[in-house]
Amino acid sequence: MTLPIVLAAGALAVVFGVVMLLHRSLYVSAMCLLAVLLQTGVIFAACGAPLLGLLQVMIYAGAVMVLVVVTVMAAGGRTGPRFADFSIPRPLAWAGLAAALVEGAWLLAGAAGASPAPAVAHPALQLGLGAALFKPYAVATEAATLLMFLAALALIPEEQP
Amino acid sequence: MIPPEVALPVKLLFGAPTAAILFGFFVMRRLKPEWTHWPILASCAAVCASAAWLAAFVHAGHGFDQPLWTWAMVGDWGVAFGVRLDGPSAAVLAMVAFVGSLIHVYAAGYMKGDPGFNRFFLVFHLFFLAMIGLLLSNDYVQLYLFWELVGVASYLLVGFWWHKESARKAALKAFLTNRVGDLGFLVSVVLILLVFKTTRLQLVYMTVAGKQPELLALIAFGLFWAACAKSAQWPLYWWLPDAMEGPTPTSALMHAATMVTAGVFLLVRSWPLIDAVPGMGEAIAWIGAGTALGAAVLAGTKRDLKQVLAYSTVSHLGLMMLALGLGQVGVAVFHLIVHGFFKAVLFLCAGNVAHALHQSTASIDQVGGFRRAMPLTYACFVVAALSLAGVFPFAGFFSKDAILDAAWHHGGALGWLGMAVSAGSAFYVFRLLFLTFHGARAEQTGPAAHPHEADAVMTVPVVFLAAGAAVVGWLGPMVVTTLSSGWTHVPQGVPVMPGDIALPHVNYAVAAMGTAFAALGAGAAWWLTMKDAGWDWRWRREAPWADRLYASDFGWKSLCDAFVRGVVRLGGFVGVVLDKRWWDGLLEGSTAAARVAGDAVERAALGRVNDYLWWMLAGTAILLGRALR
Amino acid sequence: MTLDLTAAVWVVTGALFALGLAACVLRRQLLAMLLGIELMIAAANVALVHHAGLFSDAEALAAVAIVIAVAAAEAVVGLSLILRVHRMGGGLDAGELSELRG
Repeated sequence: MTLPIVLAAGALAVVFGVVMLLHRSLYVSAMCLLAVLLQTGVIFAACGAPLLGLLQVMIYAGAVMVLVVVTVMAAGGRTGPRFADFSIPRPLAWAGLAAALVEGAWLLAGAAGASPAPAVAHPALQLGLGAALFKPYAVATEAATLLMFLAALALIPEEQP
Repeated sequence: MIPPEVALPVKLLFGAPTAAILFGFFVMRRLKPEWTHWPILASCAAVCASAAWLAAFVHAGHGFDQPLWTWAMVGDWGVAFGVRLDGPSAAVLAMVAFVGSLIHVYAAGYMKGDPGFNRFFLVFHLFFLAMIGLLLSNDYVQLYLFWELVGVASYLLVGFWWHKESARKAALKAFLTNRVGDLGFLVSVVLILLVFKTTRLQLVYMTVAGKQPELLALIAFGLFWAACAKSAQWPLYWWLPDAMEGPTPTSALMHAATMVTAGVFLLVRSWPLIDAVPGMGEAIAWIGAGTALGAAVLAGTKRDLKQVLAYSTVSHLGLMMLALGLGQVGVAVFHLIVHGFFKAVLFLCAGNVAHALHQSTASIDQVGGFRRAMPLTYACFVVAALSLAGVFPFAGFFSKDAILDAAWHHGGALGWLGMAVSAGSAFYVFRLLFLTFHGARAEQTGPAAHPHEADAVMTVPVVFLAAGAAVVGWLGPMVVTTLSSGWTHVPQGVPVMPGDIALPHVNYAVAAMGTAFAALGAGAAWWLTMKDAGWDWRWRREAPWADRLYASDFGWKSLCDAFVRGVVRLGGFVGVVLDKRWWDGLLEGSTAAARVAGDAVERAALGRVNDYLWWMLAGTAILLGRALR
Repeated sequence: MTLDLTAAVWVVTGALFALGLAACVLRRQLLAMLLGIELMIAAANVALVHHAGLFSDAEALAAVAIVIAVAAAEAVVGLSLILRVHRMGGGLDAGELSELRG
């Protein structure tokens, strides 16, 4: 069951990636990347790492991409009409939305334990991840957390002269 | 160690001049530059007393050779500094100290009011100090250092009036010619180090027997070459007549005491080395005799007072070389001492005459009949002239007679050459005497119209020196005692006999002949200046070729000029063609090539981040390829 | 030939990585380049997660978690840099930032 999901999500991710690469509008590119990252999150879940998938969706799709989009919109005003295109091609938007819905439903179903089991949930691996993150890699985890916090500081705008 | 009874004078000989120079430079120069001469004259007095003390010490039969410290040790060899006090150094030192000090006194009067008074006295005293150090050296390297110091000081003094182009040129000429000679010394020092493994005089003397004759000959030749430059012998003599551009005290000190005697002294010092080379002495004698005669003839044709005296110095140095070459070391040193006295007098008198004319030098066209205006100078000049010409009982008679005697006994042409020099000497000095102090004088205007006697400070030293020029000949036996005692009483008890020290017994026939030749020269001078007063100007007009011949020193000067011009042209070739065109072309071509290459590379570096990413990608691909293979 | 999971993951991650690299190298806008970098990181993460499952290696999953955190921090810093450049008048075009031009 994993293979079709990976194939479907991967194909979708590649399509969105191509659009990201080729579309001249930064806004569209950013939204496409958002879609790609969502698909990779699904692949994570399909491969037996739902926690990481959730993390991917939360951090990337949730936080970072919002930042990117905000930046694009903040910067777009001055960069001329070429990049001020904030409209997403309609089919693309529908496709992304539909994929998100389907996959969300599938994931929820899998989590509920109902219909086709999404993946071999590798319980041992999940346990191992927790153990690895908070035992031998505790310092690295803390450092990464601190790094994120410090990086957030970088966004504080400097004093305007 | 230095014998305690002479430790003080030895210290004073070096310490007093050094202290005076430093005091003069750091204190007097700021506070009272016109009083610079006082500490320096005090130092001269100390030097005189010390020199006399040391001469008495050596005369009593003592002597020492003491290394003091070694500088810049490399392996087991370093530049050793020490003091060697023996016959030659004590005898010459006494003369140098006495004559040099009196010239210092004279200079205080002569240089009065000169804007460079302070500078002059400091350099002058440095010159003196360098000569003292040279005389007391006990090591060839030390000797060489002081030798160079003498050269530098003479350069500074000859070019003292640096705003005159002729002075600058003369200073440069003197310095460069001496450099040419110094090369010989340098080569000799290196060879001595190579052959003897030491440069200490004493050790060289003791081990000179049995060394390679070829290297010894090279060493002796190098030393003689150096002496030729310093003591103004053919082929390197020509700087000396030009060195008249400095103030007169400089000329006097240079000709009488410090500079030109250094060359003869070097040969005396190195006599065991030169003696070990067969034929070297003969060559030195011949070159000396030839120089003496040529310079004596030329001195009779020059018009500038100081120039005549300069050629006279060359001539007398030639006589010393003649004596030295014949092995008569004692005679040579004796004549050196006597010559120091009478030549100092002659120069200082010429300085007084020039001073009376308010000039730095005087030509025979401007002088005449000065004996009434300057009686004291006149009297001193007469004494010195008689001494130079070798008239009994003045000092020059004894030393010159000894040289003539040696040459005569050697036989052959050298004897006749000596006689000819005797006649020539008498001719030029009496010509100068008659033209300057007797005879008519062309009408003059301005301050030169009324010559007057110089101040006491400029006449009293001359009187003292003239007294020396009159009587120092009687001190011959004393000089000989001094000379011989130091040489033999060396510390290790190894006697080193440096040729013949003793003066030859007076040979009445030679003495009479020498006097007769001198009288002949003097008579000719009288005839051609007093009786036939226009002669000096007439022959120049009537025989311009002779004038040219003499002006170019029998062609030698022209030859040297041509040589120097050739060297300059070679230098120009090297500078313009080799250096500027080829080498610089190569260098500039390389920069041009680099620029072209840079332009080519520049096109690849547009500063775009994406381009750099491409490069980075390429690099990563290569690294990955290497890592994965 | 049967298409197994590993091959599918490789194809997908390879394509995504190539797309990210292309975005980074070819596009001139700084933001687009940043997006390319994010895409490459995500692609690498996918491969890492799959192989972690394959080898049952929990440490690889931990690494992925840390990579996600670091990549997020990197994105934030990159964005702030871009904004700063933009405010200083540098625009958003990497082509204009050519002070290193030879």
